[in-house]
Amino acid sequence: MSRPAYIPNFDGKRALILHRVHPVVDAISRQLAQLGISCDHCWPALPASAAGDADLMIFDADMGHDEQFPWAAGAAPMPAIALIGSEAPGRLAWTMSRGADAHLLKPVGSGGVFTALVMASNAFARRLATRAELNGLTARLEQREVIAEATACLMLRANLPAETAYAQLRRDAMAARLTIEAMAEQVVQELRGAHVHRRS
Amino acid sequence: MAWQGDTIPIGVLFSASGPYAAIGGEGLAGSILAIDEINSNALYDFKLQPHVRDPLGITENYAPLAADIVATSGARHIIGCTTSWSRKEVIPLLEKSDTMLWYPCPYEGFEVHEQVIYLGACPNQHILPLLDFALPRFGADGYLVGSNYIWGWETSRIARDAMEAAGGRVAGERFIPLGDIDVDRIIQEIRIKRPSFILNTLIGPSSYAFLDAYEALAQEDPAFQPTVRPVLSCNFSERELAQVGKPAHGQYAVSPYFQNLATPENRQFLEVVRKFAPATEHVSAFFAQAYAAVNLLAAGLSATGTDDTRAVLNAVAGRVVTAPFGPVEIENTNNHTVLTPRIGRAGSSGFEIVSDLGATIRPDPYLARATAKPFKQVSHLRVVK
Repeated sequence: MSRPAYIPNFDGKRALILHRVHPVVDAISRQLAQLGISCDHCWPALPASAAGDADLMIFDADMGHDEQFPWAAGAAPMPAIALIGSEAPGRLAWTMSRGADAHLLKPVGSGGVFTALVMASNAFARRLATRAELNGLTARLEQREVIAEATACLMLRANLPAETAYAQLRRDAMAARLTIEAMAEQVVQELRGAHVHRRS
Repeated sequence: MAWQGDTIPIGVLFSASGPYAAIGGEGLAGSILAIDEINSNALYDFKLQPHVRDPLGITENYAPLAADIVATSGARHIIGCTTSWSRKEVIPLLEKSDTMLWYPCPYEGFEVHEQVIYLGACPNQHILPLLDFALPRFGADGYLVGSNYIWGWETSRIARDAMEAAGGRVAGERFIPLGDIDVDRIIQEIRIKRPSFILNTLIGPSSYAFLDAYEALAQEDPAFQPTVRPVLSCNFSERELAQVGKPAHGQYAVSPYFQNLATPENRQFLEVVRKFAPATEHVSAFFAQAYAAVNLLAAGLSATGTDDTRAVLNAVAGRVVTAPFGPVEIENTNNHTVLTPRIGRAGSSGFEIVSDLGATIRPDPYLARATAKPFKQVSHLRVVK
């Protein structure tokens, strides 16, 4: 599908509410049921299986603490919605440190859950995409050294100026359908192999 | 709390004047009819005392007038509102004063409020059944035109999803300010784009101007006649049809109620209309749903002996009751009504019902369970004259 649906749909999803027994949990459960979402409720700890079982999480910001979560701060493996009663700066700071994708203010009445879900799902998708892009960029950054080394190898081997050696590396990578980093790795390995071989 | 004496105050809050007076007036008339009928019925041991306010179609007037009803009459129940904006304006007052709003109009969904009872259709009961009917017959490349506010935006958005799921494409989408009657550019664009149909979510005078102009186009070019490229609506009703007249003939509307509904419930209802409001010429869903709202409220009051909002809600929710459009039920999980959508084709004697599957549709205000269906494309089979 080339675009997200115009009408977000959560039918059949599973939610986890991390909050002590309270009318707010009932109000949220009722709203979730409207959206076709079944929910489990737990307190004080999230079960270790939560990451695999639930599609989204609503957690209490008032009495919450880091030890409740089986994952690191900011690394919730699902859209996470903070349930905020106290707007005290310390609680808000903790909520942000957990990396809430959206929030709901207590008390919860007849509305608000759908909005929070739509926004949290969107923020979570962006969070995943950003992390994937960052991982890719970091990996490429780490391989800068090997490209420099491969370019130097080619320069020495064929007595080429730097630009020509780099251009050749790029051409070879394209011809072999490899990333330039992978091609560079190959050039360096070959040369190291030859070097070792010659010395033995 | 139990009421004092035998009179129960209720609020009636409709704009019988202003830009959407034609529809607001229907809500008012339907409410008053039901109140008159109930007050003459010896089976009820109370009388309803209506406290009527007219916000003149101005959104900002609704909340102060609702507050005025509550403060001066002690009413715990208000029948009223036509537009979603007016309903949203009233909701904070409902919460503060523990008052129930009986909202008798179709709307765009995405709301479930504990203190609102929704008598009209939500999208899985209006736009989706309308497209179910129209897409296989006329094609899936619709043109969307509406008044520039939430009803048009959201209904069009749902339509866009359904059309694209059916393999269609949106031929164009235009919104014009409420009350605007300058539709020439839209007509020109439709002439060029030649969509399969036009979805019209325009309100009041804008809609009438559009229907007039579209008929003029069809006169020039038969490819725009309603048998080929019809105009579809989820809000066009009897009184408006009478006002527009011939230019609207052949166009389609979806509604749980049409005056021409040939059911025992409707015959009985029209009998009541003749008896209590003999001057009434046209009866629409807006009228019938307001009438049903008051009757439902009276049933709740009667069953509980109190006008406490929660007690009345508990008494009516989940119970099947008779309304002009047949047996209906207020879904107890979302306060919306289980309804049977019908498709009507406009003509000289009102809407001719061309599709009535007779199947009730449970309300799904967040479209949680509605799945987009691919349609068999038949647009290429259309005879273009």
